[in-house]
Amino acid sequence: MIKIPSSILREIYDHMESAYPHECCGLMIGTSSGSERVVHAFRKCRNLNTERAHDRYEMDPLCMLKAQQEFASGPWDIVGIYHSHPDHPSRASQTDTDRGFAGYSYVIVSVQKGKVASAQSWDLVETPEKKFHEEPLVIVDVAEGDRK
Amino acid sequence: MSVTVRIPTPLRPVTAGQAEVKMDGATVGDVLRKMDAQFQGFGERVLEDDKKNVKRFINVFVNEDSIRDKKDLDTELKPGDTISILPSIAGGF
Repeated sequence: MIKIPSSILREIYDHMESAYPHECCGLMIGTSSGSERVVHAFRKCRNLNTERAHDRYEMDPLCMLKAQQEFASGPWDIVGIYHSHPDHPSRASQTDTDRGFAGYSYVIVSVQKGKVASAQSWDLVETPEKKFHEEPLVIVDVAEGDRK
Repeated sequence: MSVTVRIPTPLRPVTAGQAEVKMDGATVGDVLRKMDAQFQGFGERVLEDDKKNVKRFINVFVNEDSIRDKKDLDTELKPGDTISILPSIAGGF
């Protein structure tokens, strides 16, 4: 399960709609306990795949490095990845599976004609075969002071 | 010389949950091969089979610099350096 404050999810959606018709990506920062992840912040990242930005993304590795450095000394960590699927369903694809890593929540958002249409979160299991399983995406309301 | 190695979430199952470890080594390769000896399964997730290169979908930085822009596993280390191991995140449909 991943819990995302509604205000953060709205900002992530804004990122995706402004990037349309290209895919965009970013990092979700927060805490995790067992299979439950709670998002407290997010960071937008650049999609370095400019040749196929309409159906592929490659996150700028410097974005992840900066986030790791920024949150290394605190209680929060990188708990998930988000990316958009322009004019395509929000299900995890074979490409997502091939390049996925277990241990993160992958929030995939379908953006249809420039507007967010659906969102799903996926958790990758590596055994017995590498496969994404849908997990609950719970939208929560929190005070602004809890955010960073 | 002692350096800090930062471990991403996907690799923590093989480092007993540790997000950071202190290691000694003169080069990145020295440190990662020591990590492989200390943590079962670390090498197969980070290094190619010949252990002479980092896997394609893993990025390794020394402080702010990618080792692919330096000398890969032969990149020299200074005391106090931080090695960051990061998954290369990509996808699409």
